[in-house]
Amino acid sequence: MIGKLVFALVATALAPVLGGLISGVDRRITAWLQSRYGPPVLQPFYDVLKLLGKRPMATNIWQVLCAYVYLSAAAVSVFLFFLQTDLLLIFFTLTVGAVFLVMGALASPSPYSQIGGQRELLQMLAYEPLLILVFVAIAMTTGSFKISAVFAMDKPLLYSLPLIFVVLGYALTIKLRKSPFDISTCHHAHQELVRGVLTEYSGPYLAALEIAHWFEVVLMLSICALFWATSVWGMLILVALTYFVEILVDNVMARMTWKWMLRSVLGVGLVLSVLNMLWLYAN
Amino acid sequence: MLDTLVFMVVVVPFLVAGLLYVVRPDGVRKLIVSAMALVLIGSALALLAQGPFLMAVPAAVNELVVLLDFLLLFLILVYSYKWKSRLAVWLTLFQIAALAWLDFGLADHGKAGPAIMADHLSLIMLLVINIVGSFIAIYALGYMKVHEEELALAKSRQPRFFFFFILFFGAMNGLVLSNNLDWMYFFWEITTFCCVMLIAHDHTEIALKNATRALWMNVLGGATFVSGLILIQKVAGTMFLTDLFAMGPMGAGGGALLIPLFLLVFTGFTKSAQPPFESWLCGAMVAPTPVSALLHSSTMVKAGVYMVLRLAPLYAGTFLSSFIAVFGAFCFVATAALAVGQSNGKKVLAYSTISNLALIICCAGLNTPASITAAILLIIFHAVSKGLLFMCVGTIEQKIHSRDIEDMRGLYGVMPKTAVIAIIGVVTMMLPPFGMLLAKWMAVESAMGQFLVIALMAAGSALTVLFWARWAGALLSAPFDAERPEKLPFSVRMPHVVLASLAVLLSVGAPFVYYGLAEPVVAMYYHAQAFTMQYGSFVSSTGMFVVYPLFILLGLGLIFALRAAGRVTPSEIAAPYMCGAQTTVDGKAAFTGPMRTPVVSVSGNYYLDALFGEKKLSHLANSVAIVLLIIMLGGVL
Amino acid sequence: MLEKFINAGRLKSPWIMHFDCGSCNGCDIEVLACLTPLYDIERFGIINVGNPKHADVLLVTGTVNHRNKHVLKNLYDQMPDPKAVIAIGACGLSGGVFREAYNVVGGVDKVIPVDVYVPGCPSRPEAIIDGVVEALERVKVKLGLAG
Ligand code: SF4
Repeated sequence: MIGKLVFALVATALAPVLGGLISGVDRRITAWLQSRYGPPVLQPFYDVLKLLGKRPMATNIWQVLCAYVYLSAAAVSVFLFFLQTDLLLIFFTLTVGAVFLVMGALASPSPYSQIGGQRELLQMLAYEPLLILVFVAIAMTTGSFKISAVFAMDKPLLYSLPLIFVVLGYALTIKLRKSPFDISTCHHAHQELVRGVLTEYSGPYLAALEIAHWFEVVLMLSICALFWATSVWGMLILVALTYFVEILVDNVMARMTWKWMLRSVLGVGLVLSVLNMLWLYAN
Repeated sequence: MLDTLVFMVVVVPFLVAGLLYVVRPDGVRKLIVSAMALVLIGSALALLAQGPFLMAVPAAVNELVVLLDFLLLFLILVYSYKWKSRLAVWLTLFQIAALAWLDFGLADHGKAGPAIMADHLSLIMLLVINIVGSFIAIYALGYMKVHEEELALAKSRQPRFFFFFILFFGAMNGLVLSNNLDWMYFFWEITTFCCVMLIAHDHTEIALKNATRALWMNVLGGATFVSGLILIQKVAGTMFLTDLFAMGPMGAGGGALLIPLFLLVFTGFTKSAQPPFESWLCGAMVAPTPVSALLHSSTMVKAGVYMVLRLAPLYAGTFLSSFIAVFGAFCFVATAALAVGQSNGKKVLAYSTISNLALIICCAGLNTPASITAAILLIIFHAVSKGLLFMCVGTIEQKIHSRDIEDMRGLYGVMPKTAVIAIIGVVTMMLPPFGMLLAKWMAVESAMGQFLVIALMAAGSALTVLFWARWAGALLSAPFDAERPEKLPFSVRMPHVVLASLAVLLSVGAPFVYYGLAEPVVAMYYHAQAFTMQYGSFVSSTGMFVVYPLFILLGLGLIFALRAAGRVTPSEIAAPYMCGAQTTVDGKAAFTGPMRTPVVSVSGNYYLDALFGEKKLSHLANSVAIVLLIIMLGGVL
Repeated sequence: MLEKFINAGRLKSPWIMHFDCGSCNGCDIEVLACLTPLYDIERFGIINVGNPKHADVLLVTGTVNHRNKHVLKNLYDQMPDPKAVIAIGACGLSGGVFREAYNVVGGVDKVIPVDVYVPGCPSRPEAIIDGVVEALERVKVKLGLAG
């Protein structure tokens, strides 16, 4: 037990470092795809450090409260993941963060963060059912919602749940804030959103949100890794490939509308999960 | 001792109600209601300490109940006639005839049994009714005073209001303590009658219209109830719950018992306002807010789910059970979707109540130890949080004269304390580590293996998060410096604070709630245990919910966040980004428009009328619900 | 220690915000050219943000007039410290060809303090990038790190 706790603690402490690196690599690959050179791989850390050093500025205290609750919830959900607890529980903890992010955005009277908050809610509406379905599918294959049960499998989950993995991909795209689903906040939508949910956050508070996002990225990718839990290399390759596809999708897709998002994500997600579950039952 | 306690919770409210009807001075009424609240809470706790019991009553009491039952039905008939609801008149006439047949033709009067029974489920219901309900009654004292001032009535109608309000407690307590189904039916009809009278209380046109609708829908439930009773008497030859339980699942008459069970469960659906009957509960919000708080949290609608849950062991393992699960899951999604389309705060609460009741029904249908645990925890936690939220909306409405969520924007600036309490209510409804989410987690995990049910649950819980989160956000959006002192009378503030603390404390004590209340019920039903506790976590074969670790970690996170927020100095507060053209009008953010005139920026929630509009969606939900009910009926036949 | 890291970050991550104060769009096009793959200012960690609250460096093109001087001031005020301002093009420096117009206040420095002046009509992208680098030098001086 103590060993597991220490492992989870260390993993949680390292998660933001990993998340930052992933984000740095992401920016490099994106630049490469756009025939640019791109920033140094450590750039995300420079950004966050700089933000930490800026003078704090907020529109009201609730925003600040919400930002830090979001950060804490994201860290706790990563901790629970590496403690190998219950997938559904981790999902619910993740929701705490997401809800507080929205509340923080809605707490500011700025019209841009208001729109961002509303869109973030719609994004949640799109990915939450999918994530629950993914977790349920995993549980129905392994017989338990506990993550340890996934590691007890002798065959990678991907063999039995290939379509569910695609469904997870949809949720991942939304959670990573990648096109075509980057409708609630985005670096490129100045005219439309300014910066959506993040508009009114600046300096250290923005840094907190960025770190929280890194936690979430690590968590989401770890969930992907569960689909090849039988070997470390398998996990790494699967995650790397998945992430590359995410970047590719991000670069070739335009930002779409929320209606399109709800329709396509829920529609495709539901059909794919049902097909996969039918196939599983048939076997 | 025991009979005194039962007398206290069942008969005393009737007497007190009668007293309140004749007493007019405000002060005396306050005293009586407060004293009764204390007595009820005390008796409920004492009964809990006492544990399960059976109690026989003298035959004379039985005859009295029968007599009163007929009187009540005639009273309902009179009102049905007065309000010109033909349907209700016919249904009531049917009930009178059916009851006469049942009582004088069928019932085996020689076979007496204990008319009163309390097992752990009844005791839980007693706690919920009397504790949550009592605080709402105290809240009603303060609320009704302001309410009548606003209406500027020549003669106070509070005696009438409190007569029916307090009557409710006796009826509910009697209902959950009945072993004799005939008694249960009697109390059931009293709750219907009280509810309808309270909806009609303000005597406006819309109040009467909605009361009429509530009347016929609930009378329909009454009609199916009495039909179910006749069939049970015919098939099983008994009217006592204990006898039915002793026969075990479907013990008597095999499949034949399914038809009456379906009828009784259907009765529960009408009372719990499940689609296609959801409109009566939504209409009930025309009544003064304490009525809504009472109906939605601890009484009335909880009677419906109590019925479904009570009968769960009898239909366990049947086709009916799995269909109840599907029906519940569907209603859960459908009504959550309806809530998304609403900006009226009370309507959001109403739909969310129906949605949670549907989840409870779904859990009863799943019929596993874990799902029954979930259902019980949902009943408890939902009662506290929902009672609290309704009180908040009532208080807010009396201050800002609107119940629309959009008008509650920036409420923190106007009523900081109430806003924070409302946010606590919302958070306990939708986020872990609070009890509602614990129960939802149990529900989802127990539905594992039933993909359809779980997919519906997934969609429903996402919709739930959507409508709660934006409400909480709207309450928060306030200018920083607008904090003003907020004065409320003690009888209004105290129930808020008590229920908010209760919502949080019960969640912290979730393991105790589980061991003390839920687990005995499950043990009684299934002779099995759903969860064990390890390291302060609920553990089952399919998963674990770490209650204490999560409380500690998220609690630390909250403290960390509170400290960070506390360090913010006024000089760090800046205007929002308005493209560099920001200005303010009465503290509201605005753009500088043409000719330097300010243009206030207005923002609102997405209510997605095209997708979640009430008109279209409720038709769809009702049609699907009717189809499901017909299939269910076809199945049991 | 942390302060050292933060200072390193400050010099490596200048997020810019571009404000068109009344330019003929000549300079604006050149600013945007910096973002294209040819110049790729993200190499230096520069990101073009749309919000003063996220910006470290304010790029102002065009002349200041009596109407937009308020906006310019507001944007500057909403940038959290430490921050720098770069005036771009002849117009931004002094009002340029428009300086005699009835409604023109003049260059950017009439309203807010300017750290770096990038001349040209329009300025070349290289010059603009140089300007940002120069602004970082100024920040270094302000932070007491120069030398
Ligand atoms: S400096 Fe020249 S190019 Fe730039 S805004 Fe002025 S006139 Fe246009």
